[in-house]
Amino acid sequence: MKRNHLLGLIVLAVLAGVFLATFQDASTYQTFPTAEGQMGEECVVIGTLDLNDSITFNKDKMLLRFTAVDKDGNSRTVYYNKPKPTDFERSEEITLTGFATDTAFVTTNILMKCPSKYKEKEKLQQT
Amino acid sequence: MSYVGEHTWIGDLGRLMVALSFVWATFSSVAYALHLRRPQSHWLATARWSFRLHALAVVGIVAVLFVAIWNHWFEFDYVWRHSSTDLPLRYIFSCFWEGQEGSFLLWTFWQAVLGWILIHKSHEWEAGVMLTVAAVQAFLSSMLLGVYVFGIKLGSSPFVLIRDLPENLGLPWTQMADYLTSFPAFQEGNGLNPLLQNWWMTIHPPTLFLGFALTVVPFAYAVAGLLTRRYSDWVKPALSWTFAGVAVLGVGILMGGAWAYEALSFGGFWAWDPVENASLVPWLTLVAAGHLMMVEKHKHSATGITLFMALFTFWLVLYSTFLTRSGVLGDSSVHSFVDLGLSGQLLVYLLFFVVGTAALLAIRWKSFPKNATDELLGSREFWMFIGSITLLLSALQIAFSTSLPVFNKMIGPDGWIPLLGDALAPPTNANEHYNRLQMPFAIVVSVLMAVGPFLVWRSNSPLFWKRILPAAAGSVVLGGLIAWGMTIQHPVHVVLLMVSLFSALANVDLWLRLWRGNSRHLGMTTAHVGFALVLLGSLISQGKKEFLSVNKSFIHKDFPANENSVLELKDTVSMVPYWVTWTGERSEGQNHYYDLTFMEKRGDTAFTLSPFIQMNERMGNVPEPDTRHFWNRDVYTHVTFADLRDVPDSAQWKRPLEVTLKAGEEAIVYDNFILHCDTLEVRDAVFTTDGSNIKRLNMALQLRLVAMDGSEEALLPIYSLAGDQLTQTDAVAERSGVKARFASVETEEGRFKIQLWRRSEEDQPFILIQAIAFPWINLLWLGSVLMGLGSALAVVQRVQRDREKAKKASV
Repeated sequence: MKRNHLLGLIVLAVLAGVFLATFQDASTYQTFPTAEGQMGEECVVIGTLDLNDSITFNKDKMLLRFTAVDKDGNSRTVYYNKPKPTDFERSEEITLTGFATDTAFVTTNILMKCPSKYKEKEKLQQT
Repeated sequence: MSYVGEHTWIGDLGRLMVALSFVWATFSSVAYALHLRRPQSHWLATARWSFRLHALAVVGIVAVLFVAIWNHWFEFDYVWRHSSTDLPLRYIFSCFWEGQEGSFLLWTFWQAVLGWILIHKSHEWEAGVMLTVAAVQAFLSSMLLGVYVFGIKLGSSPFVLIRDLPENLGLPWTQMADYLTSFPAFQEGNGLNPLLQNWWMTIHPPTLFLGFALTVVPFAYAVAGLLTRRYSDWVKPALSWTFAGVAVLGVGILMGGAWAYEALSFGGFWAWDPVENASLVPWLTLVAAGHLMMVEKHKHSATGITLFMALFTFWLVLYSTFLTRSGVLGDSSVHSFVDLGLSGQLLVYLLFFVVGTAALLAIRWKSFPKNATDELLGSREFWMFIGSITLLLSALQIAFSTSLPVFNKMIGPDGWIPLLGDALAPPTNANEHYNRLQMPFAIVVSVLMAVGPFLVWRSNSPLFWKRILPAAAGSVVLGGLIAWGMTIQHPVHVVLLMVSLFSALANVDLWLRLWRGNSRHLGMTTAHVGFALVLLGSLISQGKKEFLSVNKSFIHKDFPANENSVLELKDTVSMVPYWVTWTGERSEGQNHYYDLTFMEKRGDTAFTLSPFIQMNERMGNVPEPDTRHFWNRDVYTHVTFADLRDVPDSAQWKRPLEVTLKAGEEAIVYDNFILHCDTLEVRDAVFTTDGSNIKRLNMALQLRLVAMDGSEEALLPIYSLAGDQLTQTDAVAERSGVKARFASVETEEGRFKIQLWRRSEEDQPFILIQAIAFPWINLLWLGSVLMGLGSALAVVQRVQRDREKAKKASV
């Protein structure tokens, strides 16, 4: 066998390994009920913030507690152990990375989408 | 109806220029193709002139858009969306390329400039190269057309009027002739994203897009090589262009890192965000292509793979463009562009060039010269080849992980072929994922970067082991010492530390000892040392980054202690090795600064950092960090939470209390404090002539408030009487949050009545901050500069050498 063939095989093996590792590390998009079906496993839930429920932040424990509603309309209490994001109440969509427990969803990272950009134009359309 | 105050003519001019640039580029490409087919025909001059006209039209588009932004003509959607009148002059350029259309334009502009130069410099290769460049330009120009053809949107024009936007069609105000002057919304634009109002953002995008534009040159040369069946010859003229691309794109990417470090609050310079990855991946393959081209130039033994790598780099640039601009990334990236509904067109653009050139490569593959023998195991070309393949694999890993949203579209539950049960989301810990998978590649590349230059072309080098030994031994010893000194324990980190040092030391050693400081090799050596330092600096500054702010309160075993500290106003908190005090806050312009004083516990170093929150009504509030740079480390802070509401003073004081004390007495107040009443200080006392009534009286009561830890605060409330007018000046113990008022004197017993208030816990102003120490981060920046300068120098030297050779040949 020529050396180039051997090299080719090594390259393919590395590629396969890399792809497998990527799929293993990838998490999945879930809703709250499906996340509860696999408690403790990391996943991503996209939803909105429930503004009718209270949002409390305890600075000494560094614990944020709020209620989120997923895309199917299921609402759950969510805990977050980092400072409350700036303009949290203004978010129109939140992406929660974390895991479900039997009492609440625990999130380790929050991504927000804010609507501010086209606010003025909407105002204009209403006039 | 004619509208008041509109500048529609300039919009029309802009659209005309876009149309012309598209037409001329298409025409030029076709003309070059005809010339390539039949060199005797007279198409060459036509092709050249049409490309030049195209380039002028592009400059025209740039000028028109710039004039509209400069003059704040907010009737144009692009101008309204990306600029405002209160914007400092230096950010006008940033408005220009903030949006998709503007950044496409920037890219087109650079490529037009490169095309203009190539017409003069590519000589015999002109037709083959320019045919591709002009075709790419035609596609790029079409992205700005903004016309509908058979109901399909072609491009998005930066010259659309707000009243012509589809969502505004038919609204009553669009029928008002004086809408521009009668609505305040048109007097001011939306403004530039505050995060982009940064010096780096003025230079990062043009540099990055010049880098992207430069990747078209090796691509075009490779296509020309394939078309003319000169599979090896194209490498020589394309080499300098390729390394110019390596230098510019590399510097551009690192500028983005510098911007992120300075203006964004994720605590670092690199976050493996899809948009960052989209620029890193083509850079890696461009470096691979450049090195393969050198192999091909010396040995003609890597024909197929070299052509592939040059083509693949540009495919990746197109793919990156598609990823970041089609909206496919959606939820997975914080800062990809808004979807303009161009994903179809972008896909066509991508597929046209990928399928076209891949087919060409496949058809020609059989006719490439075949090597009868393997490369020598000890030759430079063999290991350069291995290094390039490693870079390719590293790039593929990043590209693959970043493409998870694309896989969702294809095989996810809602995709074309639903193979997966659940939609894939990016790895929950991106840093950990990419760092773990990329480190092995970085190790291999570092070793090869050290070894490669010691090897010689086309033969084994018998002196190799003897020559490389000092650098190898030195780096193991030095790396070991650093790892021990900085307590770097992770075995992979230790190995990467040693090999990146090896890479830097070996290149310096080779240049000084064997090449005796020959300036001919200075560029290459500097670039290699620079890249090694970038790796070393990233490894140490990220691997050993240290959160000074730690919150130790225990929540739950699954919840890690987190890296934020609570700071109350005037309160001093320990953040090893500093005492940190939040001394105050202030507003300057739209920024609200929080002044933090850092005092070294054992030492004299003291400094103030002022991280701030930019209050932007239109864009939302954005926290930005502040960093203190030392030669060996950075101290980086940002505010992670601040209550931005103003609490009125009276609302703060709660829990009123009254104590009556004699001088020398004390009382326990609010459970935690002892209030000492020391003496009465009579400052002024004037009685009426008969001595019975007080005319004027000014007294202060000296109080001491002692806290549990023994610390004291003095309080001096004042009681002042002038006739019937009583004035009581309260004293506040800021640290304890206690306010005291000298209420009255009970003359008979010589007692003083003191009223107290406690600042309520909830209203005690506080902020949360993160403070991070990045050790040795300057190595990273030093490495970036060296890499840029070194690659640039190598390019300049190569161009000069080629010119001298050409001169000699012509003599």
